[in-house]
Amino acid sequence: MQYPLSHSPYGKYSRASNATYPSYGSWLNQLAVALALICVMSLLLTGKSNAATHIIEMTTKEIQDDGFGSKLMAYQMKSHTIDGTPVTDRYSTEATIPGPTIVLTEGDTVELTLFNEITNDHSVNGISKQVSVHVHGVHYELVSDGTLKVINKIHDEGAGHGPEEYHATYVYKWTIAPGTAGTWPYHDHNFESHNGSENKGLFGAVIVNPAGSPGFDKEYVLYLGDDAFWGMEIDGTSKQQSKHGVNPSLEAKKNSDVRFHLIAMGTDIHTFMLNGYQWFDPGTNILINKAAIGPLEKHVFTVKAKHDSHYVDKDFSNQLMGMKGTFNVH
Amino acid sequence: MSINQVNMHIGNKDNVMKKNINIYGSKNPSTVLAALLFFVTTLLVSSFALAAVHTISLTAETLPNGQLAYATTGNEAVIPGPAIFVKEGDTLNVTLTNNTSAQVGFTIPGLPLPSSAKVQPGSTKSYTVNTNVAGTYVYHGGDKALIGLFGALIIDKATGPVDSYVNDDGAITPVMQADLVKQYVLFMVGSTFWGTEIAADGIQKPLWANPNLGAVENDLVRFHILSVWPGHTFHLHAHRWLKHGTTTVIDTKLLADGSDSHSFTIKAGSGVGTGSWQYHCHLFSHMEAGMHGSFRVDPVGGDGASVVGASPYGRILLGPKDEPGLVTFEVTDEPASWFRSTRGDAIVGLGLDIKSKSLEVMSPGSSVNFVMSETNAVHTISTLLWPSGAQHMPFDQTNAYRGGAIVKLDTPGLYVFTCKIHPYMFGAIIVDDPETEGLDLGNPANEYRIDLVTGIKNLPTSSDLAVRLLRTFFVATSPSNWQDYSSGLWNVRFPTIPVRISGAPFGNIQAGGLAAPLTILNVVDATLPAPVPPSKFGVGEVLVNTQFEKTAGKTKPGTITIVDATNWTVKRKIALPGINMNNPHNMWVSRDQSVLYQTQWFDNKLTMINRETGALIKNIQVGYAPSHVMTLPGTDDITVANNGEDGIAIIPAGSMEVSKIMPTQAQGHTSAGPHGHWISADGTKIITPNIITGDIGIYAADGSNTHARTTTGLGAPGAHPIAIGMMPDSSKVFATNLLHHSLSVLDGTTGALLQTISLIANYNPIDGTIADNGEGPYGILPIQTPVSPDGKAVVIAATGGQILIVKPGVSDADAAIVTKLDCDPGCHGVNFGAKQNGGYYAYVTSKFSNRLTIVDPDPDNNGDLSDAAIVGYVSLVATEGTAKDDTISSLPGFGGNGVLAVPNVYNGWVQNLPDTWKAGLTDAQKNPIGH
Repeated sequence: MQYPLSHSPYGKYSRASNATYPSYGSWLNQLAVALALICVMSLLLTGKSNAATHIIEMTTKEIQDDGFGSKLMAYQMKSHTIDGTPVTDRYSTEATIPGPTIVLTEGDTVELTLFNEITNDHSVNGISKQVSVHVHGVHYELVSDGTLKVINKIHDEGAGHGPEEYHATYVYKWTIAPGTAGTWPYHDHNFESHNGSENKGLFGAVIVNPAGSPGFDKEYVLYLGDDAFWGMEIDGTSKQQSKHGVNPSLEAKKNSDVRFHLIAMGTDIHTFMLNGYQWFDPGTNILINKAAIGPLEKHVFTVKAKHDSHYVDKDFSNQLMGMKGTFNVH
Repeated sequence: MSINQVNMHIGNKDNVMKKNINIYGSKNPSTVLAALLFFVTTLLVSSFALAAVHTISLTAETLPNGQLAYATTGNEAVIPGPAIFVKEGDTLNVTLTNNTSAQVGFTIPGLPLPSSAKVQPGSTKSYTVNTNVAGTYVYHGGDKALIGLFGALIIDKATGPVDSYVNDDGAITPVMQADLVKQYVLFMVGSTFWGTEIAADGIQKPLWANPNLGAVENDLVRFHILSVWPGHTFHLHAHRWLKHGTTTVIDTKLLADGSDSHSFTIKAGSGVGTGSWQYHCHLFSHMEAGMHGSFRVDPVGGDGASVVGASPYGRILLGPKDEPGLVTFEVTDEPASWFRSTRGDAIVGLGLDIKSKSLEVMSPGSSVNFVMSETNAVHTISTLLWPSGAQHMPFDQTNAYRGGAIVKLDTPGLYVFTCKIHPYMFGAIIVDDPETEGLDLGNPANEYRIDLVTGIKNLPTSSDLAVRLLRTFFVATSPSNWQDYSSGLWNVRFPTIPVRISGAPFGNIQAGGLAAPLTILNVVDATLPAPVPPSKFGVGEVLVNTQFEKTAGKTKPGTITIVDATNWTVKRKIALPGINMNNPHNMWVSRDQSVLYQTQWFDNKLTMINRETGALIKNIQVGYAPSHVMTLPGTDDITVANNGEDGIAIIPAGSMEVSKIMPTQAQGHTSAGPHGHWISADGTKIITPNIITGDIGIYAADGSNTHARTTTGLGAPGAHPIAIGMMPDSSKVFATNLLHHSLSVLDGTTGALLQTISLIANYNPIDGTIADNGEGPYGILPIQTPVSPDGKAVVIAATGGQILIVKPGVSDADAAIVTKLDCDPGCHGVNFGAKQNGGYYAYVTSKFSNRLTIVDPDPDNNGDLSDAAIVGYVSLVATEGTAKDDTISSLPGFGGNGVLAVPNVYNGWVQNLPDTWKAGLTDAQKNPIGH
């Protein structure tokens, strides 16, 4: 039988406990068992008391007119309370790409209400006018899948006029269960067709931290799209989210610990590099300096900010189109 | 976890510790030695006792739909092939008997086989497989893998758990083979899932294409995801699993290009419950192409049964079984057979005069599957026409991509698929109601009518337009229907099987439709006169991309045919077998005319060639499906339209690699897919016809600004703006809309739309009458549209077989069509060159003939274009005197697409010619609008 490994997706590969024990039956062993029991119990108790209830309201809007009438779409935070305390001022007051990053802890629960300010048009010829939120990774029941009835067989699960159902708003319920720690995308799955319009800007990230995990000086969410990075910065202290947009210039203080959350979106398969930096391939103790990442995969790593750099996609066309941004360390 | 569980957890740990201590922890040396000896012996004995010998005998078979597949000898061939489960250290011998008519192999990427040679038809080969490293491996048949020769080899560790899963509480829990309720093998190939279900007792059941998988809540289910060729990302809703070799939990996994695999175990519905949970490839283009299925988790007590997908044995023409069927098309770079049914040869051999390999027939409720297996390019798989009222139509993807497509067709009638990037690729499926006589060409519930992608609805299939589209399909996809001017005769054969259309041609509708063969459209032994060239010679050379000409040293088609304009002979053919030059489409030359720039449209290369000797200079990667190439007249920098992508590649003069790609759209917005661009004479603007977004883009040549994005085609969906011409003073831009049959005229500075001229105003699409006693100019499916260097005439090649002469209209005057000349089938490319002693010729190419058409837009040079005429033809077939770098093997001189006259006499470029070239030109030709 193998040891169950502690689930620790951030940082080094680690084991559940120390492997060397004195021989069974000795009083030392009994003491160790008792201590371990107490540790686990207190962890459970602290875990339970920290589990928070998040009430979130998000809307969707058209943005980024290219100057010739073609628009993208984006999510915008309307309000977010954690156990009743509002944290809405962490977020941009506009619809952004990527959408608001929702930071959660294992054990939390989420109730998210989605609004549709893109269109109130009816669905004609099967073209859906309903937007949704489909999330990866966390626990949710079928009614919160964020897909159309043709996929889930029960409902058009979004806000607006779907091909078969209309909802003014739609409420999603997520359980952030133990084992769901990680960074997960959320995106539309309903607009236009059962594939959704995630490729038109309707995407964002959910960061689930294990209970009691350390913070970072800065965290960056970088989505790798088909022709540009779409990213944002999160201040580790104030939790403020900023710099939303294309190939953002990211900043860090020298020698601070920062965490990058990469998610790919669209059709391209990318090769990401942060020039001059190495990091641990997530969940291993192998150092790498580049990562292959395909749509909706995630790749989360931490580095100590040492020197100025660029983050880039080494894919032939994307590189020549200028798909890169600066990482300034001062 | 409850406290009791915690106790058990720790208790178990101690048991392990006890074992370990007995072996390692004892302090007595002799005990240690004895223990070690015992341990080692046990290990050896256990390996011998557990290691098995597997002899798997496989055959390779041809399925009813033409696909190839592996079978275990004596059983039905299946896709994926039989899943092979062994343990590390087992002996695995595989024999393969090839019962197909193609060479097949057996290869396992990552596991070198002692012999990987191919098996000839009828022969048998044996392979011994090294099973020393546990893992999930792809086995496949080599070249033919993509059409069904692939399967999974799973090597598990000899003892212990086979995998781990994430439990409801997050615990990573090991799982033994015996704990698994079932396993699934899912192959991701093209844009289709192919599945096998393996029950706990090892019985394997084929699930075919895009199956719906089943399980009962809390079942432990192991998935083996594998892929061959282009990469994918696999995602399953509401579940998460351990990424093997790490401690990371994921729900989406990359399968890299080439071949790849990913195995994982889940507890069905863990933490989320029952339901239909979608599984799919998360590459957006593949989602649009149909790459998804359902994982249905039933409540405890339910059957958790899988639902089989579309099968190659099912309800297709001559299919043996009564189950939903599947026809498959390979997408290729091969002239005419760009969509080739996997049983295309068999269909041609049926003796029904079907000369096309691009036609399939199946029953309602079956599916059509595409795989881009023999092409180096990106494509879309988009419907051009379908039965009126058919569901889920149009079928389309936003961008061009590598992969395939799959779609279920329920409504009877004709469906024609094309590629938005290469719009003369055609594949047709007739979904036929087996109860009625004749193959249904339209929706029987709607008088056998069809809808077109440009918004035309309820078009009767007896209409003239529908008949022309049918004729276009049967000519384009059958080289035997092409015009070979060296043979002197033209034959067009249509299939002899009756088809059901709206009524008698042309236009009448009768109740219940009419069942009759299309053979009334046959052309029998029409005379093709030998090409007679013009009496007046041209200056320099005419370079023609004979894009379909095949040569012995290459697998891919296409040559550059160089015609000497001073004597109208074919002086050189450039095939470049050394680089397998693939479908050369369009050309330009360097300022001094010495370097020829050639795009490879079904590939991702720009090729630089020594124009005088035909020698290769460099083959440069630019971007997918490069269509047109032009230089900036001021700097001689090279611009290449990446038709399959989203920008213009720039190669600075004197360099041989792309320095940057200028985007044709704002970041995050839909890729424009630019095709036949042009550059203003002053070199400041690049103008692109954007196929995917349906507009004309005007961009600053230095990339600093987008001046305009003007929608064309009067808002018709899929209007397909395809080529650009410009006045020599840049005052006006001309753009043809291929599927809208119109010419858009735009202001050259602001991009504002000035006019949309319908090229079919004089044409009645229902009964086919042409206004003006048949003289009313018309053009169907217009393509290239250059303006003569002196700004006096626009000449348009329309692939429906017409050349249109258009007066451009100086300053505020409107442009207007003046006259129409006849052109060969597949009329395509036009460019102007100097005539000796003044004036210009328009050189016109056609895809489905092998002669060059030479037009003089104004023979008496008086400014009145109504005497525009075809003044001669030149055969594009090589003669004894033609210099060649390869032997012509078939389709001689065919496939005229791009054409370029050397010297380049367009305003802006002609002024920069070396004196030696200028010597042959008149003063007016050296300065077309400034003299």
